[in-house]
Amino acid sequence: MSANVSINKVWKVISKQKAVIAIFAMMIFMIFPQTTFYTAYNWLDMLRSTAILEIVAFGVTVAVLCGGCDLSVGGTLCLGGILAVMIVNNGYPIWLAFVVALLSGAVVGFINGFLVVHQKTEPFIITLGMGMLLKGICQQLTDAHPITCTSLDFMQISNRKFFGSIPSLVVYMAILFVIFFCLLRFTSYGRNCYAIGGNYEVAKYSGIKVVPIKWSAFVISGVTATLAGVLLASRMNTGSSVYGDSTGMLVNCGCVIGGTSFAGGVGGVVESFIGLLVIQMLTNCMNQLGIDSYYQTLFEGILIVLIIAGDCYGRKLKRERV
Amino acid sequence: MENANDYILEVKDICKYFPGVKALDHVSLSVPRGVVYGIVGENGAGKSTLMKILSGVYEKDEGTVIFNGETIEHTTPIQALERGLSIIYQEFNLVNTMTVGENIFLGRFSLNHGMRGTHKKARELLDSIGSSINTNSLVGDLSASEMQMVEIAKALSFDSKLIIMDEPSSSLTSEELKKLGIIINQLRDRGVSVIYISHKLDEIFEYCNIVAIMRDGCVIDVKPVEELTRGEMIAKMVGRTIENEYPPRAHFVGEPLLEVKNLNTRKLHNISFTLHKGEILGLVGLVGAGRTEIIRAVYGADKVKGHETLLEGKPVRVSSPKQAKKAGMALVPEDRKREGLILPFSVQNNITLASLSDLTHHGVVDSSKEREIAERQIEALGIKTPSPDTKVVSLSGGNQQKCIVGRWMERDPKILIMDEPTRGIDVGAKYEIYVLMNKIVEEGGAIIMISSELPEVLNMSNRVLTICDGRITGEFNPEEASATEIMDKAIG
Repeated sequence: MSANVSINKVWKVISKQKAVIAIFAMMIFMIFPQTTFYTAYNWLDMLRSTAILEIVAFGVTVAVLCGGCDLSVGGTLCLGGILAVMIVNNGYPIWLAFVVALLSGAVVGFINGFLVVHQKTEPFIITLGMGMLLKGICQQLTDAHPITCTSLDFMQISNRKFFGSIPSLVVYMAILFVIFFCLLRFTSYGRNCYAIGGNYEVAKYSGIKVVPIKWSAFVISGVTATLAGVLLASRMNTGSSVYGDSTGMLVNCGCVIGGTSFAGGVGGVVESFIGLLVIQMLTNCMNQLGIDSYYQTLFEGILIVLIIAGDCYGRKLKRERV
Repeated sequence: MENANDYILEVKDICKYFPGVKALDHVSLSVPRGVVYGIVGENGAGKSTLMKILSGVYEKDEGTVIFNGETIEHTTPIQALERGLSIIYQEFNLVNTMTVGENIFLGRFSLNHGMRGTHKKARELLDSIGSSINTNSLVGDLSASEMQMVEIAKALSFDSKLIIMDEPSSSLTSEELKKLGIIINQLRDRGVSVIYISHKLDEIFEYCNIVAIMRDGCVIDVKPVEELTRGEMIAKMVGRTIENEYPPRAHFVGEPLLEVKNLNTRKLHNISFTLHKGEILGLVGLVGAGRTEIIRAVYGADKVKGHETLLEGKPVRVSSPKQAKKAGMALVPEDRKREGLILPFSVQNNITLASLSDLTHHGVVDSSKEREIAERQIEALGIKTPSPDTKVVSLSGGNQQKCIVGRWMERDPKILIMDEPTRGIDVGAKYEIYVLMNKIVEEGGAIIMISSELPEVLNMSNRVLTICDGRITGEFNPEEASATEIMDKAIG
């Protein structure tokens, strides 16, 4: 009896997020063909491949929760990686590379925040423009050529393994996941973010420092994007202006797929994590099955449309029932 | 006339079930042609559900609907309109960025062969209800009552035989209300029936011919309005007798608590007033007279320069809601859903919103303390909610309002500013809010109350200020002044 009730409850939670259903559907489907899908190696590889995007997504989630969005993360990520490689190549220590890269992300986020929160511009357009602007800067910095890093230590950051077999990127992602989860779930900062996204006016009338908090959300988003950029540069051992072309769209899209509302105030890092994992898992499954890469884009598109449409349909049903 | 056609609308044994609730239980109503038919009932009595079934938003589960002699099985909002049944909702269905004429014939421009014809036809419709609104002005620039005119004109453009008005007066001032009364009478004379849903019993008595009283999804009674008294009506609505609509007035007025001097903006001129400890100060004026602007300026929500604010004799600077909060002020705004509540949040999170910084250690929210606060306020204010974790959207209007009050009670505010504290709340919950207000002043707080309901102001406040065109035009002791005297000053 009580088991029945708890199953019902679990089902209710799961069915709210069509992305979770998609994950289970893929997992069940992959039982049948003879592939290496169900191996620890494959799962770790899947997590490693998605780690960079996930890290970007954690920061973007904060901005989206506050009722914004950040499409500049592609350019920011690119800039962070290039700056880090340039600094290391010039013989400076690695920690300095991190500091400079993250500071650049903070500056980008600060400008985004100024434009969106202070000047009340439309975040979608302004951050899209900012991303293009940064991309342009990156191309100027590198002369549009990839720059290879000469430091082995730098390369080690993202390519080593912990505890024998766990890729370092997965570990970094896990740590950041916990940090962002706690930030949003347990701190007053996190709660205020939800409140601002939920209803800006109410938050303001309740004496919440709406402007600095929403502003800082963009800074956080910028910093995590550059952090991801440095890790990506380390992973590829290269800083290049072609990285991050689809990152901005993919990450923001992933947040929404997982259930973080673009209107703000609903969602969280768990949702964003799941949202991006779905896309990665689909790619992984299709690679396992040897599906042509031209078809892969098609299926990815179908999946995204289906999930979002399904979630909206579910919400519509719920609204009509009330 | 054809037989059995004296009724424009007949509803027989309608039932509607929502998961776990019987929202309508064998409801039967017959609305004759050319009458104003009032429907009263507390929130949750089923009035809105019934209207939504008639307009095709919901499907009925059982029963029959006969409209204009035609049995209607299934309808959509557009079909209902085309048959001649239109609804004017509390929140207007108008496109603010389009003109009056465009709104009236939205989506049907071809009907009048283009825009010139549309505006011409719109003009005729507006003239027919005695309104002089320019059909080329933007709806967003209109006042609430003008928007209502546009809605009525829109209903008439469909050649409506029955117009349902859901709480039409909630955004109107008493002057505008009079105009609405005239129009309703005109509609009746034309043979159009009006279903008038309202919480305000005065309006029911003034406008309606027949009243149906609903409670808990049932029609309790249908009577010509002359055969009912106010007390009977309330007793039937709430299912118990309420001797008084208002609790006894509080008398605890003490020293000055808040002094505002020389408040000037583009809309406000030389606003100076004093609020005393233990006082309920009522602000009366037409919508747009500057009532809301005054309290927004006092609360720091709008940036205003040059005025002086004294708190207990000492000057304070209030240029943001945050500083206002620190100074001991609290704001319960007019529009619950837009300015008062964070709808995706639970009851608990809404209650603790303003005191979050007090229960935070090193940035981390103390969740057990948070729970304690939420439970304390739920208990103290009698908020009816299944659990503190229930989403605030699912609560009734009165309970939602209590959540906002609870949010501020937790901070022991010295000055509580309430803008239309009982709008859209049923009679029982209103009384509870009034009791709560008295409790606040009893404990040494003070309340500034804005209200469009004059009886409420007269019965609750210790002092009344009338505001007209951004100026304070009069000060009254409500125990001595009459409603007409006060309204006279408020209209200017």
